[in-house]
Amino acid sequence: MNDKRPGIPTYVLLTVLALLFLYPIWWALSSSIKPAAEIISDPLGFHLGDATLDGYRAMFADVPIGTGFANTALVLVIKGGMTLFFCPLAGYAFAKYRFAGQNVLFGIVLLTLMLPTLVLIIPLLLEMSALGWVNTYKALILPGSIDAFSIFWMRQVIASIPDELLDAGRVDGASEFGVFRRIVVPVIRPGLAGLAVLTMMNVYNDFVWPVVAVNDERHQTLQVVLSTLAQNISGNRIGADFATVWSELLAASSIAMIPLLVVFVLLQRHFINGILAGSVKG
Amino acid sequence: MNVLQRKSAPYVFVLPFFVVFAAFGAYPLAYALRLSFTKWTGAGEARWIGLDNYTYLLTSPEFWASLGNSSIMWLLVVPLQLVAGLGGAVLLANAKLRLRGVFRVAFIAPFVTPLVAMAQVWIVVFDRDYGLVNHVLNLVGLPDVGWLTSTTWSKPTLALLFLWKTTGFAIIILLAGLQSVPSHVYEAADLDGASRWRQFWSMTVPLMRRSLSFLLVIQTLAVFQMFAEPFVVTQGGPYGSTTTAGLYLYDHITASDLGTGAANSFLLVVLVFALSLISVRLLRARDE
Repeated sequence: MNDKRPGIPTYVLLTVLALLFLYPIWWALSSSIKPAAEIISDPLGFHLGDATLDGYRAMFADVPIGTGFANTALVLVIKGGMTLFFCPLAGYAFAKYRFAGQNVLFGIVLLTLMLPTLVLIIPLLLEMSALGWVNTYKALILPGSIDAFSIFWMRQVIASIPDELLDAGRVDGASEFGVFRRIVVPVIRPGLAGLAVLTMMNVYNDFVWPVVAVNDERHQTLQVVLSTLAQNISGNRIGADFATVWSELLAASSIAMIPLLVVFVLLQRHFINGILAGSVKG
Repeated sequence: MNVLQRKSAPYVFVLPFFVVFAAFGAYPLAYALRLSFTKWTGAGEARWIGLDNYTYLLTSPEFWASLGNSSIMWLLVVPLQLVAGLGGAVLLANAKLRLRGVFRVAFIAPFVTPLVAMAQVWIVVFDRDYGLVNHVLNLVGLPDVGWLTSTTWSKPTLALLFLWKTTGFAIIILLAGLQSVPSHVYEAADLDGASRWRQFWSMTVPLMRRSLSFLLVIQTLAVFQMFAEPFVVTQGGPYGSTTTAGLYLYDHITASDLGTGAANSFLLVVLVFALSLISVRLLRARDE
């Protein structure tokens, strides 16, 4: 576009908008290290000198957040690992092979892409209880571990690799899987990075399925732990005032945001690529 | 040997997806479809009752109320988000804009935060008696508002959470759409003397039809599946005013009424598909 240099009003508008978007995050993070009483008496103020970790200390005592982090980490590693391995592999098959039934099979992938997640919740829950899988890691990990969207996206990425490159590998005597591992994977590394961060965000923030599939404390993921914060805190501190409960609640919410925000700031290019890849599917 | 392997390899490569899909997609769906014609409480025999679950839902005021709540949520969220997203994208698309990266990070940061955590923050910020928002209102001499306790404000307050969290997503999707409009289109229009405003309406918007309809469909799906916001912040209240279609579906689980829940899932899918189709059609019609 042959743009005019943006004027002061544009910058003012963008800055105001940016601050509005960031303010709730800043407010939660900063309030979580304020003395509890000030969250209510002086919600707008923040004095670094008064900063305290009391809210965090109390929260760690009352909320099983460590368990939540550990379970989320476990699900993240296994489910993320499965997505990152099997989806590019399937995407590779759809992009670079011609085989009987290919169109029908890819049609099924496209069809599942349009399936709203919500419709699967009750059917899946029924299946889990029939299998005796309610409150297991299997239930948290396996459903959705190899998803249509990631296959679709990886197929697009791999389709852009020139066939000659793959054939050269075959001439060198690489096996079919060897071509994938030694030629395809190194070439699509940026796409894989995008897939990794997007998968990480989705699994880390996933809530609907975990809250249905798991109801015992031992298997709760971080988001499930977060969803019952108020009950947990007031259950452990009978008669606690609002300020105390809120201080713990904000501590838990803040600590849950920090890992993704850090990853996001460090890897924002991959994040944005990942999000944008989603728009291709429309 | 190698030839044979080359023939079988793609099947082996796509097999894991189809195993997972068959086990945790197709099978439960087929099972649930059958279940939607039965009465089952989670234990004992399921009893075949034909279309009763569907007729029960279609004549149930609660079912229609949940759809009504979601429709109002849609009205509060989607039009505003399309406009705001487009506005934000246009501002960011200017090639001579400085600090674009910083603005972009600021807009997308909410999208990265865990929804459940922010829902907890919303409870605190919009609390009637001690919350930040009413504190600010009091400072400027305005009375307290029952953001989460009045049926008037509960939906807008949740809609605001949704908007805050996902408008950055809308902005970058539309920004990518804007940047894919070739610049020579604008140069030609400049020569023709078309005003910026006119260029925007008669060229940019139609050329971005793809990104706009993508966004419309994906956000319509998201709003009708909205679950965590009311689940955490309002538990569907006050007086059921935030019992969205997604939350109502969950109520069948807690009520152990799984046959009805399955039927409700399928009704919702049909509705969501219909809405997506209609919205894409509308966008297309506008353009022609």
